[in-house]
Amino acid sequence: MRHGTKLIPIAIYFFTVSTLVFAVSTVAAQDSPSTTSLTSEINRQLSNAWKRDSVNPAGPCTDREFVRRVYLDLVGRIPTIGEVDTFLLDARPDKRDHLVDVLLDSEDYVQHFTDVIDTLLMGRADEGKYKQRSSSQWRSFLEDFLRENRPWNEVAAEILLARPDGDSNRGAVWFLYERNDNHQAIAESIAPAFFGVRIECAQCHDHMNADEIKQSDYWGLVAFFNRSKNTKTKRGPRVSESAVGGFSEFADLTGDSYPNLLSFLDRGPVKEERPEAGKDQEDADELYQSAKRKDGTRIPKFSRRSEFVEEVMADNPRLALAMVNRVWAILMGRGIVHPFDEMDSVHPPSHPELLQVLADGFVNSRYNVREVVRWIAKSDAYQLSSMRPNGVDDPATFAWYLERPLTAEQMARATQLIVRGQFQNDDPLIGSFRQQFRDVLPDTFVAPVSDALYMSNHPTLDQYLADSNDAQHLRQKLMQLPDHSQRCDSLFASIFQRSPAETERKAVENYLQQRESHLGQAIDQVIWSMLTSAEFRLNH
Amino acid sequence: MNKRSTHKSTHGQAASRGRASDCGSSEHSLHRRLFLQGGMASGAASVASFNGLFSIPAAAEQVKRQGKKCILLWLCGAPSQFETWDPKPGTETGGPFGAIPTDLPGVHVSRLMPQCATIMNKLAVIRSMKTKPSEHFQGIDVLTRGDAPRPPFTRPILGSVVAQQLGDLDSPVPQFVLLDPCPEGNEFKAFKSGNWAGWLGAEYGPIRAGGEYSIPNIKRLDSISELDHQDRETLRAFLSRKYENDRKSEAAANHNAAFHRVAGLMSCAPLFDLDKLPEKDRQRYGGGAFAQHALLARHLIENGSTFVMVANGMPWDNHVFQHEMHQMLVPELDNILYQLITDLEDRGLLEDTLVIAMGEFGRTPWLNEARGRDHYPDAWSMAMAGAGIRGGVVHGATDEFGREVIEGHTDNQQLFATIFRALGIESDEEYDLPGLPTFRRVEDGVNPIEEVLL
Repeated sequence: MRHGTKLIPIAIYFFTVSTLVFAVSTVAAQDSPSTTSLTSEINRQLSNAWKRDSVNPAGPCTDREFVRRVYLDLVGRIPTIGEVDTFLLDARPDKRDHLVDVLLDSEDYVQHFTDVIDTLLMGRADEGKYKQRSSSQWRSFLEDFLRENRPWNEVAAEILLARPDGDSNRGAVWFLYERNDNHQAIAESIAPAFFGVRIECAQCHDHMNADEIKQSDYWGLVAFFNRSKNTKTKRGPRVSESAVGGFSEFADLTGDSYPNLLSFLDRGPVKEERPEAGKDQEDADELYQSAKRKDGTRIPKFSRRSEFVEEVMADNPRLALAMVNRVWAILMGRGIVHPFDEMDSVHPPSHPELLQVLADGFVNSRYNVREVVRWIAKSDAYQLSSMRPNGVDDPATFAWYLERPLTAEQMARATQLIVRGQFQNDDPLIGSFRQQFRDVLPDTFVAPVSDALYMSNHPTLDQYLADSNDAQHLRQKLMQLPDHSQRCDSLFASIFQRSPAETERKAVENYLQQRESHLGQAIDQVIWSMLTSAEFRLNH
Repeated sequence: MNKRSTHKSTHGQAASRGRASDCGSSEHSLHRRLFLQGGMASGAASVASFNGLFSIPAAAEQVKRQGKKCILLWLCGAPSQFETWDPKPGTETGGPFGAIPTDLPGVHVSRLMPQCATIMNKLAVIRSMKTKPSEHFQGIDVLTRGDAPRPPFTRPILGSVVAQQLGDLDSPVPQFVLLDPCPEGNEFKAFKSGNWAGWLGAEYGPIRAGGEYSIPNIKRLDSISELDHQDRETLRAFLSRKYENDRKSEAAANHNAAFHRVAGLMSCAPLFDLDKLPEKDRQRYGGGAFAQHALLARHLIENGSTFVMVANGMPWDNHVFQHEMHQMLVPELDNILYQLITDLEDRGLLEDTLVIAMGEFGRTPWLNEARGRDHYPDAWSMAMAGAGIRGGVVHGATDEFGREVIEGHTDNQQLFATIFRALGIESDEEYDLPGLPTFRRVEDGVNPIEEVLL
């Protein structure tokens, strides 16, 4: 089942309580073998740390706060009015856990996490590149990884081996292919994406602050991939690999040079015969495996990429640590190591034991990302109020839910859902927003004025509101209501998932009243003012 | 010395944040009250209303009555001192360009700087910079904020401090502007997207412009009337400030500060339109983003900005082919500095406008295998002119090969104390923020370099 461009049906009930159905489409998720929930372990470790450091955490969030938050974090959109009401009326004592499970079973989870993981692995790109990520099947490769709970270590190996054996994983080549034979760019993206470290600084010299990251790690990682070459084949884009070449020396700041041995961090060097300096190796046929592949590429008998996957990546504890730290950051607003992709000696974890327990649990779950999301989303800390408690100011305590900006995709989906009652993952609004709001998991949220100007004066949002004039769209539904008071209630329920305060009600009602002669436009302006407010812009 | 009153520095504490400007016309204020019901309006950011064309001559007149200004030519990537202010002709480290005499007897600069050589009497050059970080990110941090990080503070960047101390924050003209071909980042995104205003609060962060020499989305859509455009923002601000105040949310404060600037910025969009400047000026500064942005910086300062930082990506980081690259970059810088300083002087603004040209460190005396010069914080140069600065001074010296500072050792703290003194800002001022240890604008009570100060 592929959902990349498929309209996901969402039932919207603006004005009546829905019929207690979660109208998200679901997929059959494979149960992972005997996964033990680590939620209680998270609770235990964090509360111990709070006790130890005399930190008074915030109280738990309300159900209303929780339902908006958890939809945004797990399925990348706000809940509809019907979904909010369904949850609020649910009498089960474990209804929060239940909602987490329902959401994690949905296709929306797959789409949202694909967005996030794609950005973390590949970065933002222009829309042309996003098209290529789809047509190359990179996007669907990531979707399959999440939908089918494929083990991250296997998926990571497929991405870096980049040697697809069938149609199902041919998108895997795109991680390397999009870097277009730029081997340093490849190395600089592999380090944070898979190992949770940044190595750019080590290009010219050993890392100045994190002693363990050496210049030889940088050039070693480059060497593992510098025999790779983008190749167009009849079966699509491939990354071929030569059996020769790729030997060089790198110079440190004092001018001494060293060979670029096949090593990375604490692994290697992998043994390889180095030709004498200045001597070319012959690119002989016998250096390659005799069986030709269907795509026409050859595999070297000694493949540096295979060596990397087998010798550096296999069972490398960093792979699991990096992924659980990243998932923690996605859900908790910052990593246990912060920034989440600088897991080096300069950035010690705030909760080392917890990080290790989560990594071990992740490995035991067969590297199942969905389980880690589940453990964290069910934890007490995830469900704290977002009001920072007095006397606590260190966000690394996780003593309150950290506010965070919505991603472009979350904003675009939520906007569609509010204004039109349904959303499409290929709506142009997504493309427009992600070109403007590029951050995903920023270290700190600094709202640039350019974003405010975009929302104020760029045609995208205004035009979208003006074009949403069908009977089932919010504007027309509000027009049908008998008075401004009900319009105001409906606006707040749709956009903020709550009722208006008295002052808010007065402001909105008066605004509409003054403009009764052009009520449709006035409604759009109120929607605009709510969609551009901090309450909508942030998850909290 | 001029006789205008010294700016009283206000303690820029959290308490002063979120201050709403009061420059909307009475007509609009009245109108707003109609739907915000009087008292509620104070909770909302007022929306500046500037009808009609922005009157540049009038603004310029006002500027002359105001305090000091600053233009920072941020030479990101770090230029070589050997090819600029501290040539070592005929030595193994000196490079191929040699030195030329200047209008200061006995003082030479690189042959690549013939124009600046004629105005050294207006410049103060420090040849004895010695700082710690040798990496760009840390170097940029220290040389734009004045010191290394001291968590949990985020120390505000120079432009934010100057804008907050000397700027007119109710002015529609942005007080702190960053001009760069890619102002949101690209090169050193981690720095550019960082928290520039630090604990001062987001309203003291820069307006970023550049690239196409204008600010994107600065014009109102035809589909919405001016009045509706203002009113929906007022409603937005009201709802959004309520959220911010109810939660004391810093993220929301940042968000609201950004929207708060929109109306004012829209009113002064013409200021950012280079086409409105005389073609002759544009040619005199030269083609290319750096030159045109320097001209724009002059224009913004003339019209009410307080601090303009002109960056240009990071072209100076010449680990490869340093001589070839500097042969292109230094003459451009030479011309820009010359044009900027003489222009400001011709307009009577140099006295009040501090011009700083520097990067985050210097370059190695030796060449690497790629014929590049690598990072070198141990002995490097920078230059200043204008407000509060004594021209015709060369402070400090390096040894004959430029390896070590042998006289007048100057670090980032002394440099910042000097910059603040030149601008009339108290460098030793204490900050007490709730729940945090005391710190000073420049730590450790260091003294400025008196020699370069008036």
